[in-house]
Amino acid sequence: MSTAPNHLQGRGCAPGEFEGEVVLSRQPFGFWQGLDPQTGVVIDKRHDACGQSLIGKVFVFPYGRGSTGTPGIFLEAVRNGCAPGAIVNVASEPMIIMCAILADTFLHVRIPVVDGLPEDAVDLRTGDRVRVNGETGVIEVLAKA
Amino acid sequence: MFLADAEQRMLDGHDGAPRAQAMAVLSRLGEACGADRMVPIASAHLVASSYQIAGEAGIAIYGDLVAHGARVAVRTTSDPGSIDFARWQAFKTPADYAARQIVIAELLDQMGVIPTWTCTPYTTFNVPRFGEHLGWSESSAVVFANSVVGARTNRLAAYVDLCAALAGRVPYFGLHTDAGRTGDILFEIAPDLAAAFEDHYFPPLGYLVGQVVKDKIPVIRGVPGATFDQLKAFGAASAASGSVALYHMVGITPEAPTVEAAFRGEAPRERIPVGLADITATMAQMGGGDGPIDVVGVGCPHASIDQMRRYAAFLDGKRVHANVQLWVCTNTTVEQMARTMGYAQTIERAGGRLMVGTCHNDCPLAAWGFRRLATDSGKFAYYTPTTVGTECLFAGTDACLQAAVTGKVER
Repeated sequence: MSTAPNHLQGRGCAPGEFEGEVVLSRQPFGFWQGLDPQTGVVIDKRHDACGQSLIGKVFVFPYGRGSTGTPGIFLEAVRNGCAPGAIVNVASEPMIIMCAILADTFLHVRIPVVDGLPEDAVDLRTGDRVRVNGETGVIEVLAKA
Repeated sequence: MFLADAEQRMLDGHDGAPRAQAMAVLSRLGEACGADRMVPIASAHLVASSYQIAGEAGIAIYGDLVAHGARVAVRTTSDPGSIDFARWQAFKTPADYAARQIVIAELLDQMGVIPTWTCTPYTTFNVPRFGEHLGWSESSAVVFANSVVGARTNRLAAYVDLCAALAGRVPYFGLHTDAGRTGDILFEIAPDLAAAFEDHYFPPLGYLVGQVVKDKIPVIRGVPGATFDQLKAFGAASAASGSVALYHMVGITPEAPTVEAAFRGEAPRERIPVGLADITATMAQMGGGDGPIDVVGVGCPHASIDQMRRYAAFLDGKRVHANVQLWVCTNTTVEQMARTMGYAQTIERAGGRLMVGTCHNDCPLAAWGFRRLATDSGKFAYYTPTTVGTECLFAGTDACLQAAVTGKVER
C-alpha cells in the first residue's frame, strides 16, 4: 500500500483507468433526479455540486443515494457522453457499482469506481488533477488546484 | 465466486449473448458484494419499463438484447410505464414521448415480459411466496415482498433486474441469507401513539423510520394491527425516504412473531421511541400546508380493489372541484375489477380520473402547470416536489378526497 503523499489508496470496485479533474462534493448524491443526462450537469438544487458539469470529471462524493431507477439515468448519461469519467466514494453502495458494471457490459464504457477513502482523510479539492485506477484502488494526485 | 456448470456455460456464451451478458453482470455484482454463489429465483420484476427511467439508452440496450434473441427465464412483470396506454392523450402526454414508451412495451413483449405496468405486481400476476428468492427492483415492491410476504430479494436496480430475469438467478448475498435479514434498530411505539393509531399514520411512520435507518433493517414494536394496504403504504414511504428493503413489524409480519425472532437473538443496536408528537412532526415535514390545491394523487403504490371501494364510497354523490384534478393510480387488473364492480364508474361520475399503468411520478406533467398537490402517500410526498415540481401537502385518504371536492386542504 502506497504511503506517498501524492497517492491515496482505496478499494477498487470497478475496473478502468481515468485521468481528469476532481469535482468534490461533501453530500451523498443520487443520479436519479440529481443529474441531467442530456447535459451532464448536476440539477439537484439541494446539492452542493448543483450547476457543475460532471462530463469527463472525477466525481468525488461520500456515498450514493436513492432510487432503483438510478442506472436508467446513469446509462442514459453514459450513452450521451454526459457521465463522469470516474467515481470516488467513501463507501460505494451496490447501486453505484451496478451502474459501472452495466455501463461496461452493455455500453462498453469503463467508469472506474474506487471507495473506502475515509471522509476526513481525503485532501482532494475541486479542480485537482488525479488519475484513478479502479482495479488497484490507487488515486494519484497529479496536480493540486 | 462459485458458478455451477450451467451458470459457467451461460457466462461462456453457450446460451446466447444476452444470457452471457446477464451472467457477467450478476457474477461481477456478486463478487463486489461478497456472494459465494448464485441462487435460482422464482420471478423478476423490472423497474426500467418506463421511458422516463430507461430513456434512449434503455431502448438501445433492449433492442440489442431482442436482436440477439433474449427471452426471460422466469416469470417477469413490468413496473409502471410513463404513459397511461389507453388515455395518454387525455393526460396531455406528448405524442413523440408516448411513441418511445410504446417501443419499450414492444421490446419487453418480445422478451416475454408480462405487461402488468404496476408497482404492485403482487396484486396481479406476480405473487411471491414465503421463502422464495426473487430478483425484484421497484423499491416499494421489494419492501412488500420481503417484509409482508417473507420472500427474499435484494433491492436490485434497473437492468440488473432484467439480467436476473434472463439468467433466472441472482447472486446470493444480503437479504437472500438468514443472517442478512436480522433486525438492526428497534422502534417502540409509545403508549400515546398506540392508543390512538389512525390509518393515515402509516405513511409518516414509514417515512420517519426510513429517514432514521437509511438502508438498515428496522423492527417496529407496538403497532396495534395493520391491513394489507397499510403495510403497503408504510413500506413504500420507508423505501422512499430511506432505502428500506425489509422491515419487521412484531406480531404482524411473518418473520417477527416476537422481538427476539426479528433480531435473531441478538440485541438491538439502538432503541428509538416513537410518540404521537414524532408522527405529527413528520407529517409536517412531508407537507403540512393547507389551503387551495390543484391536483390530488391517491393510489401510490397502485390502489388495491379495497382502496378503489373506499374511494368510490367517499365520492358517491359528490363532485370533484372544478379547479382540481383527482387522479387515482392503479393497474389494469384492479381497474377491470373496479369497473366490473362499479367503483370506477362512481369515481369517474364524481369527476375523478383513473390513471392506469403509470402515475404522477412517471408521466411528463409539465403541460398541466400544477403548483400544489395533495396526497395520502409517503412516496409521492417524497418524490413529487422534484418529479412534478409541486408543493406537496400530505393528508389522510379521506382528507385528500375531501380536498378534491372542496378544492382545498383544511387542517
